[in-house]
Formats: sequence, structure tokens, C-alpha cells
Amino acid sequence: MENLLTIRDLNVKFKTPRGRVYALRDINIDVTANRILGIVGESGSGKSTVVWAITRLLASNAEAPTGRVMFKDQDVLTLKEWELLHFRGEKVSMVFQDPMTSQIPVLSYAQQMTDIQYRRYHTSSAEKRKRAIDMMRRVGIPDPEDRIMQYPHQFSGGMRQRAAIAMALIMDPALLIADEPTTALDVTMEAQIIHLLRELKEELDATVIVVSHNLGLIAQLCDDVVVMYAGEVVESGDVHQIFNNPSHPYTQALLECDPARMLKRSFLLPTIPGDVPDLHIPPSGCTFAMRCPKAFKGCENKKPADIQLDDGQVARCRLYDPALGALDVATQFDDRSIANDLGKLSPKIVSENILVVDDLRVRFRTMGALKAKLSKVTDPFIDAVYNVSLGLRAGQTLGLVGESGSGKTTLGLTILGLVQAHSGSVLFEQRELMGLTEAQFKPLRRDMAMMFQDPVGSLSPRMSVQGLITEPFEFAGIGSANRVDEAIELCHLVNLPTNFLSRYPHELSGGQARRVGVARALALRPKLIIADEPTAGLDVSVQGEILNLMARLQREHGLSYLIITHNLPVVRHIADCLAIMYMGRLVEYGNCQLLFDNPSHPYTEALVNGVPRPDPDNRRPLVSIEGEVPSLANRPPGCEFHTRCPYAESICRSEPPQMLPLPDGRLVRCHLRH
Amino acid sequence: MSEKVFSKNTNEPAEHGFSKRREALVLFFSNPQGVVGLVLVTLFFASAIFAPLIAPYDPYQLDIPARLSGPTVDHFVGTDQLGRDTLSRVLYGGRVALQIAAIGVSIAFSVGLLLGMIAGYGPRWLDNALILVFDTIRAFPTIVMALAAVALTGPSIKLVMIIVVVIAIPGFGRLARTNTLTIKNQEFITAERSLGAPLITILLRHVMPNVIGPLLILAAMEVPVVITIEAGLSFLGLGVLPPTASWGTILNEGYLVIRDTPWPVIAGGVPLVLTTLGFTFLGEALRDVLDPKLRKGK
Repeated sequence: MENLLTIRDLNVKFKTPRGRVYALRDINIDVTANRILGIVGESGSGKSTVVWAITRLLASNAEAPTGRVMFKDQDVLTLKEWELLHFRGEKVSMVFQDPMTSQIPVLSYAQQMTDIQYRRYHTSSAEKRKRAIDMMRRVGIPDPEDRIMQYPHQFSGGMRQRAAIAMALIMDPALLIADEPTTALDVTMEAQIIHLLRELKEELDATVIVVSHNLGLIAQLCDDVVVMYAGEVVESGDVHQIFNNPSHPYTQALLECDPARMLKRSFLLPTIPGDVPDLHIPPSGCTFAMRCPKAFKGCENKKPADIQLDDGQVARCRLYDPALGALDVATQFDDRSIANDLGKLSPKIVSENILVVDDLRVRFRTMGALKAKLSKVTDPFIDAVYNVSLGLRAGQTLGLVGESGSGKTTLGLTILGLVQAHSGSVLFEQRELMGLTEAQFKPLRRDMAMMFQDPVGSLSPRMSVQGLITEPFEFAGIGSANRVDEAIELCHLVNLPTNFLSRYPHELSGGQARRVGVARALALRPKLIIADEPTAGLDVSVQGEILNLMARLQREHGLSYLIITHNLPVVRHIADCLAIMYMGRLVEYGNCQLLFDNPSHPYTEALVNGVPRPDPDNRRPLVSIEGEVPSLANRPPGCEFHTRCPYAESICRSEPPQMLPLPDGRLVRCHLRH
Repeated sequence: MSEKVFSKNTNEPAEHGFSKRREALVLFFSNPQGVVGLVLVTLFFASAIFAPLIAPYDPYQLDIPARLSGPTVDHFVGTDQLGRDTLSRVLYGGRVALQIAAIGVSIAFSVGLLLGMIAGYGPRWLDNALILVFDTIRAFPTIVMALAAVALTGPSIKLVMIIVVVIAIPGFGRLARTNTLTIKNQEFITAERSLGAPLITILLRHVMPNVIGPLLILAAMEVPVVITIEAGLSFLGLGVLPPTASWGTILNEGYLVIRDTPWPVIAGGVPLVLTTLGFTFLGEALRDVLDPKLRKGK
């Protein structure tokens, strides 16, 4: 098959005040026509830089890239500025990660989409508009005639991303590039977008490049895969080969770390020890050598060549170098292993309920009392948390799962008294928390701590790590005078080197900042930790590290966790119980394993099946769930889920279901299961 | 996860923190505008502080025979209608300007910062009330307010200071409030609350350091405004009274004798222009260096 785009020996360097960053080194990529190529890598691997280099959109501090980027028989790197105008959008077009920031908020879609066709001089604007409407229909936007007059903020996240795809396709580009197209979306939306991209590719015979860190997305969508690490392509090949028979040690490690690929439930997850190398110093040998479990003599200072394996697979690794004998390869470093300490956890000590939430309801006002009166709105509130009841046993982990906007974070904040509840009760160790004043609540804060979603953003930016992790002692008024001992002890507890104490949050990587967050939460030896998306913003190889740390600490200190997440593959490995939330209500609640093996509520089923499996041999033919979450201000009558439920019957539309037990002990809110 | 893994690159980002500060310095000094501003501002401070040492004459010493002279060997920029040395008077006038600028701006800065943080962090009604006060002050023309105040108490340097402070507070207050509103909704404030941090700690330790940067830049830009207000009021006879030397009174008196000699007006105007330019340049250069949005490209 013929190559649409061929990249050879591409090098990109950035000038920074700290010196040169060697962002891409000797990149070779072939994009075959009419196939979907996935570029996969962790943050900092240079996968987005490749895309920017292809479209000549590199940041202004980039030095002129060297090498060749051949689009058909034209070198993109030599195109003139005015030639680029014609190249971008018409030959290559892009879909960006965040549709909210990549679309113009003050122009309607009709305007934006006719503007894109500005080079079609001989087309009337009525015709351009008609093309735009056709394209919107094609990407699955309902009533495109009306919706094209709307603005980006009137579209939901999933619809906005569909519109972005429509805008990218409207000029019939030869190559479509999607940069993390589903990262900003929920699981059910992600499944829909994957399905759409696959469909469009078949329909339009398009060539697509998908850039992502999400192995599931790559496996479900792509035909070919390129694996990048620290600015180099370490392996490339067919998607089945890469996933079933990875050659490069990094690819092997990356796949091993993905919790979604581990079919058996394990409380500890594998990690890749070490950090991504500093790209200010071009590595003399293999970039992965420092972390490689199979590294042998010479890997650290001899550059590996791209080695052609069977069936078109290429790996940049000396393991496969025919010039090296088996003897060289045998002299491995023996003190490295990827699967560190797996299965060495002591059992959990479980006792009675530490936290009981009963009928908790949190309402937010949507308009002032006067305005509500004037506009005759009788109930100017929305229910963010709607009569939620759950319990957590001491020493156990409860996973609270739902899509964005389901009220799971609000529930966590309400338990800690940071958001005012409307009614209901929260019992912590048999003590009622609702109605306590801040002064009454304060002594309890020692026993309950929270980890926040954004690892860096939840740390006060102008404070040193030492100041941050000793603050809890200060507020509680305990500890030694300067609290150095406490700081050092906490560092040891969370595996943070003590010389990090003088650093500031912006100098920390995501994983390090997350460890500081864990240290802060643990400082006063709490009994309950509420963790809001503990793995958000972390790379696959680092998230295992944090979760293993949390698992270890749970067993050592008898902690209870309430883990708020949308990441089902992760929560499956760590939670004992799961509570699934939809529009502020629990829809299913019970044993984690049972829920995964046999989801009872149709929504749970959709979530469990919606996660893209990192298994290219087992692609799901159909979208798991249609439609979008309705607005909280406008709850559907009856069962809230009936608008999206594939099994909905007439009773679901009128009668709200009750939370009732199943024979196996689970609670499910569904008419069809009782 | 072993310690060994970290040890190989632990000293790297520490040096990063250091180079960040150096990077800011390099950025500042590579901007010619900033350097010019810094030189002018330094000159202003030095001449005001050391005026008694460098001024060739006592600014109040009369020399009637040499009155209204142009530049001579004895009087570098001439004398005024009473024969006082204009250069000495300009140097001493700088002291008044510095006094009012330094004291006025720092009081307005502190009060504005405090009120702004309270408005931004506090309840909605308090925010609305404070904003109403700020806007009312802003809506008042400076000169009308000054006239009203002078009518009540009579002109004095203290009054100028009060007027300057009252006028400058809303600017600082609004800026502090806007920044506080952004900071308030960030996750680290919720994180602090979840640890049980007292309100005062949240405001002083976590909100203040994050809102103060833009206010410092505003302060540098507010100094010339304040100096001009003082000069303007003194020129109108509403501020510093003769015989005290201030740039405004020098201009005022020079204006009356402009047909005889232009030198007092020039001597009073030039330092005013240079100081204003100096602080404006410095403020703009500081903004370019400190504003993270302008530096994001690195």
C-alpha cells in the first residue's frame, strides 16, 4: 500500500532559557493511505510535537526542524507560508483535544463552517451552508438545520467534539489528525466518538492519525501503531502485533501497566520505576535504558538502530540487533524489575461502618428568590446529590463512580462539610456531622482528609513542600516546634526524597505532586480519606505507583477510602464496594466484583462495557449507550435513565424506581430487575 | 519504588527554581525600556533622598539681585522671581513628591489589597457594598473632590495625601478583588479548607501571595499618577503651599513669570515628565516579567 505521509529523520529542538530541548530525535513514521495510525505515548513523549511538525504549527521557540516530512511527493518542511494556507485544512486538518477552547465562542457553527470554506470562491454561501449541514448530519448531530445556528456553549461536550470533526472534514482533507480526541469526554461519549471515527473512515476512505495516551482508544480504533518515548519512536507496527506481541521493552512495560489489560483483580498494579529523561541533554544511548528491565551492557551509551523485525514491525532496541551476540544480551542488569513486590500485601482489617450517609440531599440555587418569583419558577434549585444513602466499613475502599456532573465530587465535599447539605444525615463513627459549625467540625478534620483531583492545582503555589505537608500539624496545633521531624517522616511514608522539601509545587511532576497530596492527607493519621480522582492527570506508569502506595498505607494504618472516579479499570482493582451515580442518585450499589462481572443496572452495564478495551482482537461492534446526560434542571420523570436506556419500558417513563436489594445483596434502582 | 530511582535526578529541578529567578532577571535587563525606567527611578530616589547634600543652595535663601536669571555659573538652571535657586528647589520638590508617592501609594496599596480580598472572598452582599463604594469614588472627578475637601479644611500636604489615597484605593481594591475571585475557586483553597485552615490563614497565606503580583505592578504605575495629582493640586494652589518647594508650586510660580524667563517652568516640568516616564517604563517592564500569562511561552 502506498504511503500518504512519510516522515524521515525528523528532528525538532526548542530553545528555552535553560538551553536546548531535544524534543524529537530521528523520527521515522509511515502513514499508509486509508488506514488509521495511532501515535501512543505518555506525557512528554513528543507525540503532539510530531503533529505540530506535520502541520508546521510548532511553537515560535522551535528551531527549524530538520529531516523530511513528505506528503505524497511534497516536502511539508519546505512549503512557503502561503502554500501552507492551502495545505492546512484542505490537505491536512485537525481535531483538537478540548473542543471548548478550539472553537470560536462568539461565532455560530454556521458562520464558522462557512468561513472554513473560504477558498471555495465559486461556491455560493447558501451552498456552503448546505454542505455544512450535511456534514453535521453525517457526524450524528440531530436536527442540524436548527443546531447549526447555535454557538459552541450551547452544545454538550460530546456534540461539540462531533462538530469539531465535522469542521475538520468539511474541506475533504486527505489526512485527518485527531489529537487526544476523547480525553476531555466521559466514557459513554468516548465510545460514541470512537465508533463515529471508525464509521467515517470507512465511509470517506480517509486516512487518520490519532494521537493519544489511551491504550484502549488506540486498540479499538487504529490499524497501525507508533509507540513514542522521550522524543523517539521506539516501536511501530500493526496494531495486533503491537498489542499481542510487543517487542520493545518500553511497549511491553506500558502494556503491562495498563490496569484495563489485567483481567484478574489485583490490589497492586505494576509500574515502570524511574522518570522520563531530561531532554535538555540528548541521551548518548537508548532513551529508555535508565528504566529498562532488560537493559544490558552498552545500552546506556550506544545508540540503538531501528531494527526491522518480522511482519513489518520496527523496534529501536539493541535486543534485536543481529550484530550483537546472545552473550552480550545475556549480561543484563539484574536489579531491575517491573513488577515490584506484587502480591506482598497483608490482608485488610475490616470492622464496622465508619461512615454512613443517609438520604443526603444537596441542592444548589439556580436563581435568586425574587427572580424566581417574577419568572414564576416554583423550585429554583437543582439537586446535585439526590437522596444518597451509603455506608463504608473501616479498612475498606468504596468506589464512587459516575460521569462528570453526576454529583460525586459534591457528595465528597458535603461529607467533609465543605458544601452545605439540604437534608439527610452523615454519620462518622456514629457522630452526626450535619449541622455542625466549623468550630465543632474542626477536631473531626484530623480523622477525615481529602485528596483533590488536580495534583498540582490542589497545592498552594507559593508554599514549599515542607510548608505544605506540615500545615495539618499547624492547624491542629501539634507536633514539634519547627516540625522538621514530621516533614521528614511524612516524606519517608510517601517515598518522597527529603531534598524535595524545599521545592515549590510547580517544580514537581504530576506523580511527585500527588505524593505530596497523599502526605498532606495522611499527616494527622486520619481514619477516612476521600480521594477525588486520585489518578487523574497521571501517566499509566505513575498511577500504579500512587495506587500501590495507597493500598500499602491502607493495610498498615487501617485506613478507609472513599474513591471518587470515572476510571473504571482502575477502581476495579482497588475497590471493595462500588456505588454508581447518575444525575445525583445512586443507581447501583454493592460488591465491586459482582458489579463488574454482572452489572445489573443498564447504566452500570453501559459504563462497564463503554470502557475501550486495549485489545484490538476484541473490538466492540456497537456503541454501548446512546444520547447524553439530561440537564439537572430538567430531570426526566420516572427513572432518570430512561431517556438513554436501551431496555426502557412504559413504567420507566412514569414511575420512579426504588433502590431495592437483589438476591446477591446488591442494591439496584431499576424496575426491570425487581 | 526504591530511593535509588530518584537519586539520579533529584538535584535537577532545584537548580530549575534558581534559574527561574535568574531567568526573570535576564528577561528584565534584556528589555531596554525596563533598564531606562530603572535608571530614571533610581535617579529620582537618589536626588530626593540626598537633596540636602547635592543641592547647591538652601531652597529658601533669597537672592533678590539675581532674580529671574537664566542659567549661569552660579545657578545652573537659573533662579525664580525671588532669586531662589531653581535647581535646589527642584531637588527639594522631589522630596515632597517622593513623600506623597511613597506614603500615599503604600497606604492605598495596603487598604485596597485588604478591602479587595475581603470583597472577593467574603459574602456576596459585602462584595456588592464594597464595589459600590469603589465605583462611587471613581465616579467623582478628582479636582471637584479636592476643591470640596480644601473648602472644608484649607490646603495642606496632609490633605493632598488623603485625597491621593482615597483616589487610588478603588484601583487596587478592584484588582485585588478580581484576582481573589479567581483564586477562591481554585482547588487548593478547597484543599486548605478541608484541612481546617482558619479563614485568616487562608487569606493571608494562600490568597494574598497569589494576588499581590499584579498589584505591585499597578503600584509602580500608580506612582506617576499620584505625583501628577500632587503637582496639579499644588499648581492650582490646592495642595502644597508656598514657600514649600514642590514641582507643582514651582510650575505655578514659574507660570506667572513665563514672559520673563521660561526656566522655572522647564525645571519644574522636566523632572515631572522623567519621573512619570521612569515609573511607567518600570511598571510595564515588571508586568512583562511577572505576568505569567505573558511569560508562558518561555
